[in-house]
Amino acid sequence: MSVDLLIDGLLGLGMIVLALQVVSERTVLRSIILFVVFGLVMALAWTRLQAPDLALAEAAIGAGVTGALMMMAWRRLLIINPEHSADTPRGRSAVAIPVALLSTALVATIGLSALNIEPHIDTAGRVALDEMTDTGLGNPVTGVLLLFRNLDTLLEMAVLLIALLGARAISAPARPEEAAVVETTTPLVGALLATLVPLSILIATHLLLAGTNEPGGAFQAGAVLAAGGVALVLTARLQPAKRPGLATQLAVTAGLLAFVGIGVGIMAFGETLLALPGTWAVYLIETAMMVSIGLTLALLFAGAPALVGRRA
Amino acid sequence: MSAQEWVALVFLIAGCFFYLAGTIGLLRFGDVHSRLHALTKADNLGLMLVCASLAVLAANWRITALLVLTWLLGLLAATVSAHLIARHARRVEK
Amino acid sequence: MTPTVFVLAASVVFGVGVWGLLIAEHLLRKLLALNVMGSSVFIIMLVVAGSGTAGPDPVAQALILTGIVIAVAATAFALALMVSIYRETGRASITEKDDDDR
Repeated sequence: MSVDLLIDGLLGLGMIVLALQVVSERTVLRSIILFVVFGLVMALAWTRLQAPDLALAEAAIGAGVTGALMMMAWRRLLIINPEHSADTPRGRSAVAIPVALLSTALVATIGLSALNIEPHIDTAGRVALDEMTDTGLGNPVTGVLLLFRNLDTLLEMAVLLIALLGARAISAPARPEEAAVVETTTPLVGALLATLVPLSILIATHLLLAGTNEPGGAFQAGAVLAAGGVALVLTARLQPAKRPGLATQLAVTAGLLAFVGIGVGIMAFGETLLALPGTWAVYLIETAMMVSIGLTLALLFAGAPALVGRRA
Repeated sequence: MSAQEWVALVFLIAGCFFYLAGTIGLLRFGDVHSRLHALTKADNLGLMLVCASLAVLAANWRITALLVLTWLLGLLAATVSAHLIARHARRVEK
Repeated sequence: MTPTVFVLAASVVFGVGVWGLLIAEHLLRKLLALNVMGSSVFIIMLVVAGSGTAGPDPVAQALILTGIVIAVAATAFALALMVSIYRETGRASITEKDDDDR
């Protein structure tokens, strides 16, 4: 048995066992924690599949941000009703197991037969790799996201904004007694924040700049920035505010505005829509995107339209 | 294998040993405090040894600096989260 | 890297997600199961797109990266919906009884 097969088999087995535990664990809180672990194993799988960009995104967004959002939502349920049961008995469904087996068989059939298709010579990915040398960017994923298929990325930013607006529209304003975080007084927290928050900004900037040539980019950087925001929200250094100020509105929409501004503005010079004029435009748009993604995720976590610094 | 690879291998195996010990402690110890003890002490050393092994393999100052930063961040996160968990556990016990 | 192993493991994970989605009563559990299903689809997408070539396909990677971010946005919105439902009805589940009541 080859080493490759052994490693991939163990990873696959780990994914299956963790997925089983996530859906069948007795309490919801344990399920959420195991989901974060599942996300980290997924990140390992992406590394094995030679996709470090996805490994970074999975660890930061798939495991980190999603896990934090789930925990926060769970905490909100407990605050609304402290009696909310931690044990949630499984429902019964006679069709569950047959349907699950059938869908496994279906997905496996599709996947395995797709593996056997003779690969096309001119796939979009191959073309993108060939064109990369002309772009001045070293990371093909960033090239696809920002240059070749940037309409997808633009609309993705729009979806993120719509999710924030939607969550805001359906959430009733939290009553003061429902404040989700209580300020912790241990001296370690202040020291942690003093290190962690500047570091999150530094690492986000590094990921953003490195992202043009190495693994990384605006999404991973935005998630790291959001992590700093989450730490500040959790320790009540940033508190929910009722109305977003101009700065918040600008920061949340910065990614979309920069993208549309440059993408449409370039048409005045006789270029086609969204034909970005060079590396500077990529850096500019990615920076704006990073700020928007970071703040949007932090706001979704806090469940508030805006955040303000703690009043002394 | 070159001498460099041998050194890296020794670091890696030592690191894995500490991870294994920490994980066994986490699973076998009875209460929160001894579990935290096993996890933070053994795993931080394990992380350092794995980072050291990678640094020896990379033989590159920039990557070594990034690995040191990784280790320090791991230490920071482990310290504060262990502290907060232990504090919460003590409050619940009272 | 062994593509077949990844495809098979991801298919089983997908099935586990479907099972979890069907047996879950709590909406948070349903969301967790949906996220698990999504992850397995991403794995299959990348493995299939990269088969027969030197490395993973950059277009597939970009699409999956987009997918991961859309998944977190959708999850955040769904969680806000769940909290609202809980505030209104006192339950974090949707059962068929709800339809009969109205």
